[in-house]
Amino acid sequence: MKRFSPAELSRYLLTGQLSRRGCLHARLPRIPGRAPFRPTQARTFSAQVDTATSLPPNSTVVPLRKQLKDQAKALKATGKKKKKNADNQTVPGWELTVGIEIHAQLNTARKLFSPAATSFNDRPNSHVALFDVAMPGSQPLFQPETLIPAVRAALALNCAIQPVSRFDRKHYFHWDQPSGYQITQYYHPFARDGRIALHARDGIASEDGDGVEIGIKQVQMEQDTAKTTAQPGEVHWLDFNRVGLPLVEIITLPQIRHPATAAAFVRKVQMLLNSVDACVSGMEAGGLRADVNVSVRRTEDVASGPLGTRTEIKNLSSFKAVEDAIIAERDRQIAVLEAGGVVEGETRGWSLGSTETRRLRGKEGEVDYRYMPDPDLGPVVIGEDLVGHLASSMGVLPDAEIDELVGTYGLSSKDALSLMLLDDGARVQYFYNVLEALEERLGLAREAEYDQRHALLAANWCLHELGKLTDLASDLGMTPDGECQVPSADLAAILSHLHRSEITAKVAKDLLWSVFRGEITAGGVTQTIDAANLWFKELSEQEYAELADQVVEGEDKVMGEFLRFKRGKAKAYPQGKLMFLVGKMMRAGPEQQMDPASAERVLRARIESVYLPALEAS
Amino acid sequence: MSARGRPRLRLRHVRPSTQQQHRLLNHFVSRVPEPTEEQQQQQPQPPPPPTPPFRFTLAVKDNISTTTSPAAAAAAHPTTCASPFLTTYHAPFEATIVTQLRARGARLVGKTNLDEFGMGSHSTHSALGAVAQEPQDPSNNDEKNILQVSAGGSSGGSAVAVATGEADVALGTDTGGSVRLPAAYCGVVGYKPSYGMLSRFGVVPYANSLDTVGLLAPGVGRIGELVFEDGGLWAEHDPRDPTSLSVAARRRCAQGRVGYATAASAAGAAAGGWEGRAVGEGLLRGLRLGIPLEYNIEELDPRIRDAWAQAAKKLQEEFGARVVPVSLPSTRHALAAYYVIAPAEASSNLAKYDGVRYGVRDTEAASDAAGGVLYAASRGKGFGDEVKRRILLGSYTLSSEAMDNYFIKAQRVRRLVRRDFNRVFALDNPLHERETFDLTDLDESIAMEDKWGPEEVDFLLCPTAPTLAPRLEDVMNQTPVDAYMNDVFTVPASLAGLPAISIPMPVASGIAGEVAGGSGTAGLQLIGQYWDDARLLAVADAVSKTLLGTIPAR
Repeated sequence: MKRFSPAELSRYLLTGQLSRRGCLHARLPRIPGRAPFRPTQARTFSAQVDTATSLPPNSTVVPLRKQLKDQAKALKATGKKKKKNADNQTVPGWELTVGIEIHAQLNTARKLFSPAATSFNDRPNSHVALFDVAMPGSQPLFQPETLIPAVRAALALNCAIQPVSRFDRKHYFHWDQPSGYQITQYYHPFARDGRIALHARDGIASEDGDGVEIGIKQVQMEQDTAKTTAQPGEVHWLDFNRVGLPLVEIITLPQIRHPATAAAFVRKVQMLLNSVDACVSGMEAGGLRADVNVSVRRTEDVASGPLGTRTEIKNLSSFKAVEDAIIAERDRQIAVLEAGGVVEGETRGWSLGSTETRRLRGKEGEVDYRYMPDPDLGPVVIGEDLVGHLASSMGVLPDAEIDELVGTYGLSSKDALSLMLLDDGARVQYFYNVLEALEERLGLAREAEYDQRHALLAANWCLHELGKLTDLASDLGMTPDGECQVPSADLAAILSHLHRSEITAKVAKDLLWSVFRGEITAGGVTQTIDAANLWFKELSEQEYAELADQVVEGEDKVMGEFLRFKRGKAKAYPQGKLMFLVGKMMRAGPEQQMDPASAERVLRARIESVYLPALEAS
Repeated sequence: MSARGRPRLRLRHVRPSTQQQHRLLNHFVSRVPEPTEEQQQQQPQPPPPPTPPFRFTLAVKDNISTTTSPAAAAAAHPTTCASPFLTTYHAPFEATIVTQLRARGARLVGKTNLDEFGMGSHSTHSALGAVAQEPQDPSNNDEKNILQVSAGGSSGGSAVAVATGEADVALGTDTGGSVRLPAAYCGVVGYKPSYGMLSRFGVVPYANSLDTVGLLAPGVGRIGELVFEDGGLWAEHDPRDPTSLSVAARRRCAQGRVGYATAASAAGAAAGGWEGRAVGEGLLRGLRLGIPLEYNIEELDPRIRDAWAQAAKKLQEEFGARVVPVSLPSTRHALAAYYVIAPAEASSNLAKYDGVRYGVRDTEAASDAAGGVLYAASRGKGFGDEVKRRILLGSYTLSSEAMDNYFIKAQRVRRLVRRDFNRVFALDNPLHERETFDLTDLDESIAMEDKWGPEEVDFLLCPTAPTLAPRLEDVMNQTPVDAYMNDVFTVPASLAGLPAISIPMPVASGIAGEVAGGSGTAGLQLIGQYWDDARLLAVADAVSKTLLGTIPAR
């Protein structure tokens, strides 16, 4: 766990300010207001995320703890327990329709319309060109290199790249937008008609079966807005480093029918964008935001009628929020309709952990964006050659990679997916590094008949054992090329000994900890085993037998179970009892010299040949 | 909205000219004092970049960004656009066109008054008060009795600065005639280049797709030298202006055009100078000048109609030009289309002035939450009436319910206007594919040259404005639509992005009480095909000399 400096802690405790860096920032990006310190009072946190496209947040903030309390109370009062999401994907008699808009920050060196550098946590207002702050007389200069990640993203989403696209101005007033309009693509986006295949392993609702395909209406490029940081006392600080950063907006067709599938879709988009290196950071770090459009209609209207009136929920910043907000909004709309009411087309908001969406503004408060082609910007012409080159250099897309992990290496699809998603895709690279080093050590040739055992072992350790080392993935220090605190060569060394049964699993785990803590220098695994004499020298059959004898002593009742099976009085072999005795053996003996499998084999044989006959005889 | 009328913010950094008669003209927003010899000797130790030798004085319209050199910090001049929003705005960078002219020996004498953000036809909608041009009869110098006459707009200050001789050249901006109209009223030359030729970087935009930087001068010659002599402005691409034509496109457009210095001819032309090289004697002989029938409107002042006819007759009979009637059927819709497109773009461009970064923030209405009016109050106070009118107009025509009926239709009209021009000009428009034209909507009086259509022409010859310069008193009583009417002859070339120039032409002396321009002339406009600027200026020079005998006296 990360250690906080006293100064940082006191800022948090006394003024409710959180560090802007690290994991906490990702979870609670904005702490509005200052609350006086009273031991009995809960901190007031708003879960509102820095908004890019929405209008300012609702100003009333309910303390999270109070909110949770009230929620629990309300549930108790109705006598209902909160349903699990997995059991709450459909409502009988109603059909849900969801469309999603995802905003993702493109991975580029420059802003969309100025040569200012893109940055994440640099000194505020240090990367700002004249045009970014709309100085009178300054003009936009389209940066063609922003097309590279944008086109890659669109190709990963199976879109048709449009040879000609155009930029439009979308007008609305907000302090985070210096020019009074956002330059976006509205009439002529650069990519259209894409689709994403979602499989069961992506975590879609079970009602969607093995897979479902979601159509993508269009992908467009647009400018980001300035970053607002709330300060105590009605003061907002603006960082124009973010203004003008290039975003892509991905708009789906209204084809999603279940909340879990919507969350799976957003997760998959993030994975696809990552895999083609189009996107700066994931949803949890604020590089990806989703708006969802939700409508419901009665199942008997499905064949004939149009879709119900939709509402839009803005700025969802986690996969869970996407699913929860859709469920809440669906239930609200159904309740309104069942009570004879009418669903209003409006914009709503969602706070983490709540059970209801809240109204932000209705149709009458809707801004007329007055879209207009930007007269300073010519059309963007994207050549076939560029598209062809980017398509051919994209590498393996996630679905193909998961298929390979499952098919060739024998991973479960869940593990394969986790491996791909962790550390923004660096974990799977680490796995490949470990596997390569391991195969070299074991002298295995790839072409040979592929034995999955060592690959599976490597995958399990890269995923689960490595994950046990720390709560925070960032502590591993994983680099994009797949190296971390535990060098892949050292993990491969540990695993090669384990695979050959030269050390026990327990010793292997201890070694991993030592490497992680830096107690073993790089490349020193085998030496350490030598020095500490950790090699696995297995007990002889005789020694196992002696241990067995020792353990069985006084376990007559357990032996009775085996006897009952032998006499045909019990149907199943008492395997549980056997393993219980094996466990006792392991504890009684020198564990690092024992293999549970050998212990089991010897014990079983002795039960048959020695103990039961003895028992029957007595 | 505030109860006040038009905001009249008195901002005078330097009192206008020492000449008493100039005091009433109000044509400068700020002035740069002439460097004294003492100052020139006391140059600071780290020598500034070598300045080219002084060649001419330059006045710059105050919607074009200028910076102040450290040496002249005492005379810092803001870039106000004549708007209350920008009274204290000092641009941190200089417009490309100003830098280019400084490099050619310009010395800045001041920033000139205008209609706020360039929106107006008489330079009356200024936070600094209206501009007036020099009275016709300077002997009658009784302040109370002076007839104050419109200088035209929106570059009125620039036109007056040239007319009074305070600047050899003045920069203006021409969106729908804002350089040509004041030139016509003030009896000077106003040139609007092809769209994309001169850089707009640093020009505060009014309507980007129409805005051009224009030049005003007493005669055509100086303008021709600056734009087309060796190292002329026409060839310079500005990478900071996305609508500035690339060097390759400039070369391509210049192919087959007369008067563009090419690598081959540059050496030979060096001796001759602009006039000598470009065309020379007999330029007008055989030149085909089109008289657009649709421009002979009811509202046209009879004196101007006569002068126009006289000019055409003189060019035909005495100088061998061919005068041909032509038809531009879309002309009648052009003005309406302009007043949809320009305000739409203006409403967008002016969205940045919200009191947060510019102007005064109305702190009483501090919320911009739903229903809040943070920006509304600040913008209501910070803009003048004409600007507010155009913002409202533009916001409406872009709104989702009006978009199709106004903005989209206006863009269609714009295409038709351009097509009209392409049909009458003998030269092709290098920006568009050649098209075939439907002849059914042509005026019946147009004679067919052959089965393909009527005779094609080199230039169009028409008045710049339908009336002579009106009195300011009358202008103040006009409705906005009356004022918009003044742009009827200048707007079509702007919509099509074509080069056009207004030169003085003599008019018969007025009836008592009526006022011709300060010089007793009206504006004669020549419009050419896209990128035919070099020949346009050469022909305008020749016509100008023909009509006035010599280069205009002033």
